[in-house]
Amino acid sequence: MEKILLRNIDVPNLHQLPTYESAGGYRSWRRVIESMKPAELTEEVKASGLRGRGGAGFPTGMKWSFVPKDSPKPKYLVCNADESEPGTFKDRLLMERDPHAVLEGTLIAAYAIQSHTAFIYIRGELAFAVTRLENAVAEAYQAGLIGKNMFGSGYDLDVIVHRGAGAYICGEETALLSSLEGSRGWPKLKPPFPATHGLFGCPTVVNNVETLAALPWILDRGAAAYAAMGTEKSKGTKLFSVSGHIAKPGVYELEMGYPFKKFLEEDCGGVPNGKRLKGVIPGGASMPVLRPEEIEKVNLDYESVQAAGSLLGSGGVIVMDETTCMVQAAWNLARFFAHESCGQCSPCREGCHWMEKIFHRIEHGEGETADLDLILNISSNIMGNTICPFGDAAAMPAAAFIKKFRDEFEAHIVARRCTVRRELE
Amino acid sequence: MDPVKITIDGKEVVTSKGKTVIQVADELGIEIPRYCYYPKLSIAGNCRMCLVEIEKMPKLQIACNTQVAEGMSVFTQSPKVLAVRKAVLEFLLINHPVDCPICDQAGECWLQDYYMEHDRQPSRFHVGKVHDRKKTIFGPNVVFDGERCIKCTRCVRFCQEITKTNELTVVNRSDHSTIALFDDSVLDNPLSANVVDICPVGALTDRDFRFKVRVWYLEKTPSICPGCSTGCNISVETYQNRIARFKPRINEAVNSHWICDEGRYCFHDLAGGERLSTPLIRQEGGLVTATWEQALQAVSTGLKESSSLAAILSGRNTNEEAYLFAKLIKKLRADATLEVFYQERELSEVEKILVSPDRSPNFRGGRDMGVNSKDGFDGLMRRLLSGDFAAAFIVGEDLTQAADPEAVRTALQKLSFLVVQDTRVTETSKLAHVVLPGTHFGEKEGTYTNRKGRVQKLNAALIPPEGALQDSEIFARFLELTGEKNGYGTPQQIFTALAREISAYQKLTYDSIGAQGIELGSAAAEHHDR
Amino acid sequence: MALEFSSETLRKFEETVARYPKKEAAILPVLYLAQQEFGCLSPEAIEYVARLMEQSPARVQGVVSFYTMFNTKPIGRHHIQVCRTLSCALGGAERITAFIKRKLGIDIGQTTADGRFTLSEVECLASCGTAPMMQINDDYYENLTEEKTGKILDSLK
Repeated sequence: MEKILLRNIDVPNLHQLPTYESAGGYRSWRRVIESMKPAELTEEVKASGLRGRGGAGFPTGMKWSFVPKDSPKPKYLVCNADESEPGTFKDRLLMERDPHAVLEGTLIAAYAIQSHTAFIYIRGELAFAVTRLENAVAEAYQAGLIGKNMFGSGYDLDVIVHRGAGAYICGEETALLSSLEGSRGWPKLKPPFPATHGLFGCPTVVNNVETLAALPWILDRGAAAYAAMGTEKSKGTKLFSVSGHIAKPGVYELEMGYPFKKFLEEDCGGVPNGKRLKGVIPGGASMPVLRPEEIEKVNLDYESVQAAGSLLGSGGVIVMDETTCMVQAAWNLARFFAHESCGQCSPCREGCHWMEKIFHRIEHGEGETADLDLILNISSNIMGNTICPFGDAAAMPAAAFIKKFRDEFEAHIVARRCTVRRELE
Repeated sequence: MDPVKITIDGKEVVTSKGKTVIQVADELGIEIPRYCYYPKLSIAGNCRMCLVEIEKMPKLQIACNTQVAEGMSVFTQSPKVLAVRKAVLEFLLINHPVDCPICDQAGECWLQDYYMEHDRQPSRFHVGKVHDRKKTIFGPNVVFDGERCIKCTRCVRFCQEITKTNELTVVNRSDHSTIALFDDSVLDNPLSANVVDICPVGALTDRDFRFKVRVWYLEKTPSICPGCSTGCNISVETYQNRIARFKPRINEAVNSHWICDEGRYCFHDLAGGERLSTPLIRQEGGLVTATWEQALQAVSTGLKESSSLAAILSGRNTNEEAYLFAKLIKKLRADATLEVFYQERELSEVEKILVSPDRSPNFRGGRDMGVNSKDGFDGLMRRLLSGDFAAAFIVGEDLTQAADPEAVRTALQKLSFLVVQDTRVTETSKLAHVVLPGTHFGEKEGTYTNRKGRVQKLNAALIPPEGALQDSEIFARFLELTGEKNGYGTPQQIFTALAREISAYQKLTYDSIGAQGIELGSAAAEHHDR
Repeated sequence: MALEFSSETLRKFEETVARYPKKEAAILPVLYLAQQEFGCLSPEAIEYVARLMEQSPARVQGVVSFYTMFNTKPIGRHHIQVCRTLSCALGGAERITAFIKRKLGIDIGQTTADGRFTLSEVECLASCGTAPMMQINDDYYENLTEEKTGKILDSLK
């Protein structure tokens, strides 16, 4: 398989402009600016079939096309580098090792929507990534790749690297915009949508790091080359972050549609120490966990994972072996969501912590059997009733762990302690 | 106005583009429960209580933020909607303290009300509740309870959008989110207590009203605030013949949904004090109880014998009273100088949103009725202090508050005859030759004309004490003594009489005033004439 | 004593604000400047920032309290933030945290008496493949063992 996103990742000093350029960097940007019209560029990206890699999988070209072309308001392009989905660390890799690819993608996307100010919103904890991006931006300004009237095109573009301050919710695009506007990171009511009313009420597009990093290659090699890879509905390649009980954790680039089981057992070296696989989360903590038997026929693409009852999401693969107490795992994630809820709307604000408290009670031996259906009901009451998808993100894993491992939960409740650990002792 | 046709619960309605589902429902009287939505504030959409089902949309939508679209079909009572209301209420109640027995909001609490109407499920919450600050003083008039708060943010938006004072904010995240002031700052803007009115629960409560009386015992009388000439519409709420509190009444033409703090609590002063309960006449050694006949006779005699007369009517007297007073005074002395008490003051920017720069709610109406003179109240006071008058008839005001108290006291003492009609003992009444016990705003029915010329109705919320007479009754009795036979009985009768005589009021009838008042010279006034 | 930016920091403040289309958008970088300059975002610091940003202190307070990386009280010179979310938990994060607690003699949320270390537990730091791990100030320390952790702490003055 030809690598796209990780094609140069091991090149030393790739983060420095001369190295990046000698590897073919900014060739696409020059071409776009010098000879492509925004509409043409958008069509090309549409034709590639590129879908948002942050987790929602929305077709990128289509997202760009929602920006009203004749609006007198300034347009904004925001690179969402707030990677905080548990199990996901691919954007970090790109930003630290190949920041110019991220930047070049940002520029291309900005041009597509005729934005003259682009932001790269990076989660605050990734200080090193911030430094790498800031340096890349400085180099690019110096070289005239960003700024006023680049290559005599008459097009101006400024890029601002904006450091977040620690809030998972700011990865949700409207919360990111609220945060960027200088408010608390509260998601906005939709409608209106960011494409027409985004940053400061102006047309805005928010794209994920990985999505943007794919653009230079797509523009260089053509939409058809990208679309030739992957499956019918999931084109191209995707980065998968693999962690947990796995022999070779790390970031992998796969062609969409790669068999999940094969990926885990062969490419990632399988579950170490002779242990059996017990469960795996395919797309980051928000996505329902799958049992080993459920991934037998699953391929890593949007449709296949959805058909199996989960979602590809951010591609954060968390592997859990037989030593894992699923009650504890569920509680761990419930605690994460309870902590990260922004608190704006009532079902999520109250419901997430409620679920965490019940899981905690079960974990610590004070659960009741009725607790399981209660959590399922709370989860169902949250889903679809919140301002933003965070509510769904918190509700899905809670329900999934119980549904998939109900026996273990019930045994834990009856025994008033973890039965998995007892078996191992 | 672009017309849009939608269906709500099977009922077709034509509304206009730009309206939201909740606005249309409100107009039609279809009840959609809500917390964070308030018509005068920006849309927050955070409570999720107004979720409704809209045909062809897979998820439920919040009615407050869903704009109507042609052909839209809304269901406010579908099984999904009924279920989600229970769900949302459950979420709001799990961390809510069971404070009802000690919470002032009980009886007018939206959690209680919606629970009874939409929920009634027993609690399934068997883990620890989140705790927060309780009975935290936010300002001179407002106290906060963080546990009761449902984070609807109405209060925060009020301070941002209405007063623009920005004292309140939401702090923290998740279910530790709470409402807070910055550091040791205080919620003391001139409209601060309105947040108590808009808080749907007992999170923000009124310090003045705290623990006074259960709201279901209150009798509520619509009236007009006697604080200043804005004429905010209020509800006077009483218990055992005492005013417990004022609440605003909505009147978009006057005060929108608000009243100022000063007006809200002014009843303490205006309906308080050491109540006068019998007429008094000055004899050797002091003021002595007298009968009404004796007192009225003494006043008649005293004023006839005086060479010049200053007549000061309180700005809190009604049009009906002012009309009779003007008649009476002019009958007693054609050259008397009459005026309505009126003093201007500086207003802060926030006060200017609502407050008028005076404390005379009916100065305009009073002057319209004939209680006016060439040089105004200032002119009258100047002359009074210079000793220009031999006698004075002062109604409802302590004149020592109008200027330097010593100068006023000296001037009043020099008068050969001083009549004071008031509700309570004041520095002025102590100097009077005759004291007549009257009534205050809370005890009278009648009309005020506000600064902008809107005639509005007061209703009596209290029964005056036994020894007192209505101000209008006292004036009517005086008029009888002067030989005028009149039909001045009810305020309605007096109004009918004054409307005949005063041209600006000719198009009005007492009945036409209604609960929202009527503007002088308006088309509405014209219409009622027919 | 009224807090103020040094002239150098004030210059950085002006430069920062100038880059953004609207002044209020610069609140996060400005708060970082203030936290750096004043040590923590005390009420005085917040009041100062509010004045500079022409906003109400309450609004700034609301923003500060939303994010985990702003400290409203002073902390140790080295802020140890151990990730506790699922992948790190599966990798033994709890043992690392317990080790640090024992070694430094402090609990979560506490600071050593000499002001050297503050210990926190945090959520996913996007380093799941190298779990367990921790962040100390701006630096990531990955693939931790108790031994490695001990050495890292010893090396930090």
